[in-house]
Amino acid sequence: MIRVDKICKSFEGQQVLHNLSFDVPDGRITALLGANGAGKTSCLRIVCGLLQADSGRVLVGDADPASDPMAVRRQLGVVGDREGLYERLTVREYLSVFARMQGLSGAALQEALQAVREELELDALWDRRTKGFSQGERMKVSLARALVHRPRHLILDEPTRGLDVLAVRLLRKTLLRLRAAGTTILFSSHVMPEVAELSDRVLVMAAGKIVGAGTPEQLATETGCTNLEDSFVALAYGQRPAVAQTQGEPA
Amino acid sequence: MNISNVIRGVKQMAPLLRKELLEAWRDRRALVMAVCFSLMFPAALAGGTIFMIKKQSEDVTRVALLGAERAPLIQQRLRSPNLEVSSLDSGSPRELLAGDYDIVLEFGEDFAQRYQAFRAPPLYLYINSSDTGSGRAQRDIQERLGALQQLVVTQRLAARGVAPRLLAPWRIETRDVSTPSSRGALILATVPGLLIMTLFVACLATAVDTSAGERERLSLEPLLLQPMAGWQIITAKTIAVASLGWLGSLLAIATLLLLMPVMPLTELGIQRATTTGGVIAMGLIMLPLALLVAVLQILLALRSQSFKDAQTQLSIFQIAPLVVLMALDIAQIKLSDSWQLLPLVGHQQWLKGLLVGGAVSPVWMIAGSLVTLGLVLAAVMVGARALRREGLLSAS
Repeated sequence: MIRVDKICKSFEGQQVLHNLSFDVPDGRITALLGANGAGKTSCLRIVCGLLQADSGRVLVGDADPASDPMAVRRQLGVVGDREGLYERLTVREYLSVFARMQGLSGAALQEALQAVREELELDALWDRRTKGFSQGERMKVSLARALVHRPRHLILDEPTRGLDVLAVRLLRKTLLRLRAAGTTILFSSHVMPEVAELSDRVLVMAAGKIVGAGTPEQLATETGCTNLEDSFVALAYGQRPAVAQTQGEPA
Repeated sequence: MNISNVIRGVKQMAPLLRKELLEAWRDRRALVMAVCFSLMFPAALAGGTIFMIKKQSEDVTRVALLGAERAPLIQQRLRSPNLEVSSLDSGSPRELLAGDYDIVLEFGEDFAQRYQAFRAPPLYLYINSSDTGSGRAQRDIQERLGALQQLVVTQRLAARGVAPRLLAPWRIETRDVSTPSSRGALILATVPGLLIMTLFVACLATAVDTSAGERERLSLEPLLLQPMAGWQIITAKTIAVASLGWLGSLLAIATLLLLMPVMPLTELGIQRATTTGGVIAMGLIMLPLALLVAVLQILLALRSQSFKDAQTQLSIFQIAPLVVLMALDIAQIKLSDSWQLLPLVGHQQWLKGLLVGGAVSPVWMIAGSLVTLGLVLAAVMVGARALRREGLLSAS
């Protein structure tokens, strides 16, 4: 479980997170839905321990990233937004380095590498250096890196950005399989169909605050809308569909 | 942090170190830069020395004499190994100087009559001062004519019963008391500076790539998300960068030593006195310096705004200490022994001594190297703090 409790964060005097609080339950996929600049990436970076909150508290499992970042990093897998690979390493070397840094060695290391190789269909890329990989190939390798040590919690920041259909399908399949295996997944996005299809729970974020939380259906009921996009607009910008308001029916 | 924690930390660092070394040694651009500079400077030094000696031994002043039949004694006595004298029947001094001659000496038509009448006939010396070799040619011929003039004066005075020594209240004789080693030190004074510069140059590309480069390529963030302490990340990067720098300096030392037999050092009065122990010592003292240069370059690159900014800052950074070293060398400031504790200054002194077989105190070398390693540790800690700066993530 990931717990975010009343965190605030400012950059150069400008507050980007305002008393932000939410829980991410175990074995569920939770989406952090927000427009650009809503504070999603800052929030995720605080959860990962890359940034320090000005106030408030975060718990990943039972570890606080502010006081025990190493414990948090051992149970986290993170796929960042547009992150780079090490272009002079092959996929096998790249994954091996990160698996070893997470403490894997010997047979356990080989098993872990073999597992991500099969799950993420990396055969064709395995002994190639990552320079020149397509966005989809880079995404697969990043995801493999985040999963190679079998983390209890997985965090993804805008994971489908720039991906083609096949890569999105593979990502979706992987996330659903991980959920079935009990992994806690938190991902940020502003792509509504992806959020609607994947997530068990949606956190709508606007101006550094959670303005709505629940399943896509619950959000629709709460806002009187028929789809997630309208629900999001209603919650984030306070714009309820005019027709729905006049007729009393979902838009 | 106790010793067992440090040992455990170093073991944990192994995969990260492997990654940094693989990345550094597979960077063809960095490798080419390190190897090329390391080979280039000893080759340039050897080439320069050979050229200098060749030029010195082959340089002959070509003198054209116009009207030489009027002064056969001068024509005869002027000839020497470094003066190539040609008697011409006619010619314009300007055209002769523009052609093959460095200097033209013209005797007037009444030279013989005036000489015999003791009326000091004029000798016209034509030079082209815009020619870079004219100064040397003028000096050579004036020395020769001066000696000849002294001979004639002596003969004339002797013929009149006057002791020539009356006209010479003293006699100057020059004695060169320099030893081969000290002359060697003077000529090879530039080598320590260049060896240190090799280190800076060989480290530069990898230092920028592993810090500012990773930050710009957004590949630093995944590293910061691993259960590794900041000091482990900085140490692994420092070792990888220093490995290339150290390789560069070792390669430069080896090339220099290989080229020494073909360099005309004996002609320059330089005795080859570098010992095997001296060469090993040179390699060893460069290692702590390589680590220091690497970690400082990484720190500076991490503080920069971008990859290009890092390259600019490090280019300036590599020149600044060398300017100080060269200024100290040119000013010939006599430094006390304790200055050897200061990195770079100490290294310059030791390298200079080891290259010419001079006396270098092992105690000062060890003490200075320990100070350098202490500074490396301090810089690693500063680097670990720098990795916690939120500004590091701004590239994304």
